[in-house]
Amino acid sequence: MRVRAWRRHMVPYLLIAPAIVYLALFFAYPMYEGLVLAVYDEDAVLPVRAEPTLDSAEVAEIPQGGALLILDRQSQAMIDDDGATDLLTEQWFRVSGTGDTGAAVDGWVSEARIRVRSEDAAGNPLAGTVRPRLGQSADPLTDVHAEPNDRSGVVGRLEQRAPVEITEVAVLEVWFLVRPADDPGEAAGWAPSRYLQVFDDGERGRVHRGTAGEFTTAFIERMVDDRFFGPALRTTLLIMALLIPLQLVLALVMALVIHARIRLSSGFLYVFALPIGMSDLAVGILFFSIFTGNGLLNSVLDGLGIIDGPFAFLTAETTNWIIFAIVLAELWRATSIVMVILVAGLQAIPDETLEAAELFGAGYWQRVRHIMLPLLRPSIQVALILRTILAFQVFAVVIALSGGDVVTVLANESFRQYYDLRNDNVASAYALFILLLSIASAVFYLRSVRAESEVRPT
Amino acid sequence: MAEIRLEHVTKSFGDKVAVHDASLTIADREFLVLLGPSGCGKTTLLRAIAGLGMADSGRIAIGGRDVTYLPPGRRQISMVFQSYAIFPHMTVRDNIGFGLLMNKVDKAEISRRVNSAAELLHIEDLLDRRPSAMSGGQRQRVAVARALAMEAKVLLMDEPLSNLDALLRLEMRAELKRLLADVEATTVYVTHDQIEALSMGDRVAVMRDGEIQQCDAPNTVYESPSNRFVGSFIGNPPMNFLDGTIRRSNGGVVAAVAHHEFSPAAEVRPLIEGLRGDRVTLGIRAENMETLTDPGPDTVPARVEVVEPLGAQNLLTVQVGGRLMKVSTHPTLPVAVGDGLHIRFPADQIRWIDPATDKVLYTR
Repeated sequence: MRVRAWRRHMVPYLLIAPAIVYLALFFAYPMYEGLVLAVYDEDAVLPVRAEPTLDSAEVAEIPQGGALLILDRQSQAMIDDDGATDLLTEQWFRVSGTGDTGAAVDGWVSEARIRVRSEDAAGNPLAGTVRPRLGQSADPLTDVHAEPNDRSGVVGRLEQRAPVEITEVAVLEVWFLVRPADDPGEAAGWAPSRYLQVFDDGERGRVHRGTAGEFTTAFIERMVDDRFFGPALRTTLLIMALLIPLQLVLALVMALVIHARIRLSSGFLYVFALPIGMSDLAVGILFFSIFTGNGLLNSVLDGLGIIDGPFAFLTAETTNWIIFAIVLAELWRATSIVMVILVAGLQAIPDETLEAAELFGAGYWQRVRHIMLPLLRPSIQVALILRTILAFQVFAVVIALSGGDVVTVLANESFRQYYDLRNDNVASAYALFILLLSIASAVFYLRSVRAESEVRPT
Repeated sequence: MAEIRLEHVTKSFGDKVAVHDASLTIADREFLVLLGPSGCGKTTLLRAIAGLGMADSGRIAIGGRDVTYLPPGRRQISMVFQSYAIFPHMTVRDNIGFGLLMNKVDKAEISRRVNSAAELLHIEDLLDRRPSAMSGGQRQRVAVARALAMEAKVLLMDEPLSNLDALLRLEMRAELKRLLADVEATTVYVTHDQIEALSMGDRVAVMRDGEIQQCDAPNTVYESPSNRFVGSFIGNPPMNFLDGTIRRSNGGVVAAVAHHEFSPAAEVRPLIEGLRGDRVTLGIRAENMETLTDPGPDTVPARVEVVEPLGAQNLLTVQVGGRLMKVSTHPTLPVAVGDGLHIRFPADQIRWIDPATDKVLYTR
């Protein structure tokens, strides 16, 4: 019995489980992954280790781009290839021959010590000789190691120019013992070549790519310092300031016309709502065709004799006209969304409430002012929030009318950073900025146009 | 003077005729109740008086002024809506004063009238509150106060008590009656509740299918319905109807029902003689019959089928010649299911109905 009751209580949770999974998987997770790029540098620091292996302890972290002194090098078996392209490798050969003591020797020698003398058809080395060491103090013998690794034990030694058979080849990655160049006190540590850039002299270099992430404001600073940031923000705010009041008033008038239930009012609804069905890019192109050099507007003005020859509205010298065209296009395109919200709000007002107002002597405008507008406040609030957030995202219309250079907006800058400049961190910083502005505006509306609980129609 | 005159008012919605040819004169300061089952057109008629739905044809005059084509705001009326239609975003004070503000009454006067209306309905404490946090009864009081504050000559009420629970409705009914007695307004009150109608109205207009069936004082409507519908709609239990056959014998006329012959009262006799067919329907209310345990002159034998003790009376369902009828008896009368009884029909309590038209032949 208890189990059954428990199951019954679980039913609502089971029912919403898909929604929660959906939200987590397709909303929260991608959003987090996308936005974290703005403040988190995945390649920020490179940890260096006590030994040239990945499982040895970290001794220091060097930031990406940090200058290095290279103290030593060593080859190690290749670690997992994480798409590294610029790693430095070294081959080791397993050789067998006769050692300096006359005994047979079988072990590993670096390719630097062996001159390959013969290869098979596929280019694999078959045999070679030990390279001689130059210089008087140099050890004339070459160590043969048990493993393809300098640190492994020496199993024998070969005389210079001794012939050897090559039975196996191992590819190793070079590790460097490095220390930050500007901080000699810092401990030196080992790092694989794939994360480093070694300069020609072989003694200095820099960290090419870190492996550990770090939170950073660098991308946000880069966004703010970007030369398009200021114009984009100003234009976005200007478009909003022009658009939203106009849209609200226009949408209110349209909603009242529909709500008045006069003849043809349902026809008005269809006409008003038509632009909702059009893509914003299509609307942008439509208005481009109106404002362009040989466009509709110029044809009409020319035909009426108002201007003499086409006027170029959409040029770098006439950005005000471009902004005017953008506002007009957005007004045409998106006012009906606001209208639909307001119509729904008006329809939620009970007929008897409006009839009561009429009966108690309120004329139409008095009913609008004293009854409809106050009761519409929650709807107006929703419409304003929605409209402002959409205004921060205005993009396709701007691209269509300005090409995205002469007049630019925040969303366009995000696009430019991501697509043209391939900088997904700064693109994400723009996206984060737009998100924060949207949240801030929503909070602003919720506070300033506060919907008192009393306003809800009962 | 605010006499309301309705002349041949007709209103239809599409194909459906909601009010058909309603003519009615409501005297100044009268309390008229429009009563009828749902869908009978009573609310439509009230709204036509209010101007909230223009009549298709006919004429409406208030206080001698033709208001047929005037918008509601200019008819100098006031109204209580079924849903109360309180403005949810205004305080109670602003709600009550709304009509006065719209009619440009000056501030001091608005304040005086709002306060006195609130006092009448005992909602002075609520004046600065908003309606959203109020109970149905409180909202109802606000709606009535708002209507009264207008001090209009005509007060319309559209089922004002129907959204209250039973106890509150009873209490509010008495209070409304007390209030409206002091208000010098012509009141039209719509309800589907016959108790409300009978207890409150100076006159009750019973409507059915868009037509006014009868408009009389509550007692007259109850005692002397104009037709079979009014008799069955008003009263609980409804009037009993017995189908009888007219027998004309030696210069007299009698109606035969279940082996018993009923003789009509003298004033009804010529009307029955004038009937075309030989069928007539007798109507009688449950409390107007006498139940006797022993047969007597003019009694009809009956068998008890159901006994419903209601406290002040016992309601019996009895079988008379194969027909069921309701009889109310004194609770002390010892009866049980299956008992035989004898019922006497007093001649002056029988209503004679023409089955062809369902009209009562003689109404006093």
